[in-house]
Amino acid sequence: MTAEPTLPRWLHVVVLGSLFLTAALVGVLLVHDAARPTQVEQRIVTELGVVDRCETCHDAADHPAPWLDDHAVERFGCTTCHGGQGLALTKAAAHEAGPDWEHPLYDASEREAACGACHEATTVVGAPGLSHGRALLAERGCAGCHSIPGFALPETAPQLDGLRDKVSAGWVHAWLTDPAPLNPGHKMPRFALTDAERDALVAFLFSLDGPALDPAPAAGDSDRGRLAVAQRRCTTCHRVDERGGDVGSDLTLAGAKLQPAWFSSFLVDTHRLRPATRMPGFKLSPEEAADIVAYAGEQWVPDADVPWSAQPDSVDPTLAATGRALFIDRGCAGCHRAGDVPRTRAAMALDDLGRRHVADLPQAGAAPTHDLPSWIATKVLVPAAFDVPGVAAAKMPAFTGLSADDALDLGIALAALRKDGVPGGWKVHAPALTASVPAGEVGALVDRFRCLVCHQLGGQGGAVAGVGLDGEGSRVRREWLVAFLQQPVTIRMDQSARMPVMGITEAEATKLAEWIGSSLADPAIPEGAVLGDPVAGATAYAARGCATCHVVHGEGTMKGPTLDGSGSRLDPDYVVALLAKGGTVVPGGRHPEGGLPEAEARDIAAWIASL
Amino acid sequence: MREFLRRIRDSVFRTGWPEDERRALMAMRSSFLLHIHAAKVRPASLRATATWGLGLLSLFLFGSLVITGVYLMFYYVPHPDAAWRSMKDLAFVVPFGVVTRNLHRWGAHAMVALVLLHMGRVFLTGGYKAPREANWVAGVLLAILTLGLSFTGYLLPWDQLAYWAVTVGSKMVASVPGIGPATALLLLGDHTVGEAALLRFYVLHCVVLPLAVAGLVALHLYRVRKDGGLVTSEHAPAPAEGPRLLPAWPHLIYRELALLAGLVMALLVLSMVLDAPLEPQADPTRTPNPAKAPWYFLGIQELAHYSAFWGGVFVPAATIGVLILLPYVDRHDQGLGRYWPKERRTANTVFLLIAAFFVTETVIGTFFRGPAWALMWWPG
Repeated sequence: MTAEPTLPRWLHVVVLGSLFLTAALVGVLLVHDAARPTQVEQRIVTELGVVDRCETCHDAADHPAPWLDDHAVERFGCTTCHGGQGLALTKAAAHEAGPDWEHPLYDASEREAACGACHEATTVVGAPGLSHGRALLAERGCAGCHSIPGFALPETAPQLDGLRDKVSAGWVHAWLTDPAPLNPGHKMPRFALTDAERDALVAFLFSLDGPALDPAPAAGDSDRGRLAVAQRRCTTCHRVDERGGDVGSDLTLAGAKLQPAWFSSFLVDTHRLRPATRMPGFKLSPEEAADIVAYAGEQWVPDADVPWSAQPDSVDPTLAATGRALFIDRGCAGCHRAGDVPRTRAAMALDDLGRRHVADLPQAGAAPTHDLPSWIATKVLVPAAFDVPGVAAAKMPAFTGLSADDALDLGIALAALRKDGVPGGWKVHAPALTASVPAGEVGALVDRFRCLVCHQLGGQGGAVAGVGLDGEGSRVRREWLVAFLQQPVTIRMDQSARMPVMGITEAEATKLAEWIGSSLADPAIPEGAVLGDPVAGATAYAARGCATCHVVHGEGTMKGPTLDGSGSRLDPDYVVALLAKGGTVVPGGRHPEGGLPEAEARDIAAWIASL
Repeated sequence: MREFLRRIRDSVFRTGWPEDERRALMAMRSSFLLHIHAAKVRPASLRATATWGLGLLSLFLFGSLVITGVYLMFYYVPHPDAAWRSMKDLAFVVPFGVVTRNLHRWGAHAMVALVLLHMGRVFLTGGYKAPREANWVAGVLLAILTLGLSFTGYLLPWDQLAYWAVTVGSKMVASVPGIGPATALLLLGDHTVGEAALLRFYVLHCVVLPLAVAGLVALHLYRVRKDGGLVTSEHAPAPAEGPRLLPAWPHLIYRELALLAGLVMALLVLSMVLDAPLEPQADPTRTPNPAKAPWYFLGIQELAHYSAFWGGVFVPAATIGVLILLPYVDRHDQGLGRYWPKERRTANTVFLLIAAFFVTETVIGTFFRGPAWALMWWPG
């Protein structure tokens, strides 16, 4: 046996070197671990699945007021409203996106969307974008194509039966090509349709029979028609030559657009021809209607050719079935009633859109959108933005007249839609509607005159009129109201919308005034105020600077209602309450905070009652 | 006092520090840990190229996985609501949580790779031949158990990666004709990956499979000893000078120690530099495109893409079957202990071609498959 070989030197080097280096690495680990926070402040909200460690670094006391008053951090945590990674204990991990956390802290629009996960009312205080977005959802009829919780199928688009009695095929062609030039401000979006598709749609629509028209009256007088249009205040709702309201359609070209027989029948028998229209039932006499039609035929026509003169005016009835299928496929039936077509939604439900991850959605262009509201805004502004070549193009139409801010607000409102996002108990429901329109005669009148198209009542209704109906029974005297309803006088000179003259009879006005006086009184306004000294009131009126906004004896400005003659209009109890309590007495009122001493208020009320 | 301590030491280490060959041999025989080796080994066995240390590294990795795994078990909650959050706790609040998870993750991947390489080495050198047939089969079973351990562990972080990899994997199981659906149901405890699956995978990963591996490893090592140690070439040039046999201490033990120290250091460096992957919390409603199995199953997933039965079931099953039956069919006993002997050229060529095929399929499945499993040139 020869000498035993010794262990090679490299083996010692490897073993000892590895051990030494390993020890050094463990030392590094120890130092590194010492930097880990030893005291973790943690909020746990089991119901919301929140474990937030934000307060390890942030102090909730530094949070801007008044948000935490109603949203205590103990109850909501932080990430419920702010997003980010609540479990993280490093700034980068908590605030930014990473491979295991897709979303950085919410930006302003995402925070508002987060409000909407709990707050279901249309208007959410402190979330203007969300509120505006929800209003736009209703206004633009999004729920016609998409199922959106809280939004029913829109009823504002006209019923299309008997369309051939109303307009020409050429007009419909032009309208389907692009509604915007024909009716600026109209809400119908622009659909991408081929000529053949338009032919088919027109064929289908013109195959639908409508209500019978009234027999054509004798030709009217256009001078009398002009007077009628002015007296009835058509431009409160309708725009002519870029002046007027936008509740109804633009009438600039109505004389050329509307078939005279349909037009006059509609003015006489509005709700028989269009049961769902927002226009009040004026019930004009056939003669007055004929006068307006005559006036329209002279004045509401283009100087040269009509914009739809180049459009085909023929209709191929054999295409009706194709058109019907297209009518359903493109979502027309979501907004319009037409024949026996069922009201169906043509597009995807959006009830869980808020939980989609932008990373899962298609992206366009080089710069990806990282937050959902912006992505939705892009989609709304340019519906084809995310189309992929080779895949069927998006059917969504283009919504004209939406600004980038409008689109972002829509994005906020839609990003707030989260199915099972928060437990039911956390939802803040829309306030219950406090007042409702009674059935029976009064209800029929309110419906016929479409009061709620312009006036707010119990949280519903339009905002055309400056004055809502809630509390109106306490504000004005009943006798005045009866007279006003028959012949509305203009009270607020600063407002362009003036109440149309709808031909309300004295009997009808009395019924409405009784209802307003008894059912729409404000219980917060005490009755039976003892009036003070009118002379002292006049002095106080001057001293308080009321003339900055009001006119009395021709002096002052018209920022507020003129007070001359308001003695017969205003209920003194209301005047006292307004002066003592302030502008909050009128919903949306602009009257300054009152806070006047009760005695002074009673003096001024006494003076105003004498005017 | 010194006497007292010495008495304790001597009761444990009976022979003392092996300063000379006699005591070295005594130590090798009497020590529980060391007597796994023969007291003397052939110099040829000591050469790095003889084994590349692959089997031993696999064993060391198993040990390190047990240690890091037990530490992780202190913090891990096997429930869908809490599992992913456990990863966050490891990341942010647990002392050495990140590095422990990294060690466990990278160690697991390394073990899968090294076990398979170890198997390849044994095949090439003919180590499966008589009298080692049964131990080869034990080794094949250990390889399968290793894959099972890795696969069950893959689900536990409960992130998107885990959820969808296991969903894909269990779908592959369910596609086996006949027993597939029942097996998948048994594995998942449900028709989809969910609460029951997570608990089952947890128990399999932490209890059942490690115990099975530990038992089989004991058997595997025992049989290595009993079957004559490392397979070596009868043609290996006998040392012109020097002994025919060397004492295992220190020649073998120090080499093994070097392997262990090097492994620990390499794993530590890797785990301090590279964090284990973690994706957003598992969301059954969001399918990633493509959903991929763990890398070691991507070859099979790639094959299954061509044909669910032939690629996804037949080829893997046949491969395992052939591997198990191999030693009982291939009975030539020439050219053992060398990587490229004349006598085994055909067998090794076929094996390498098959291995290359699986590696190629795995590489394609890993790097060149994009959304909808369409070919793509490079990720991104």
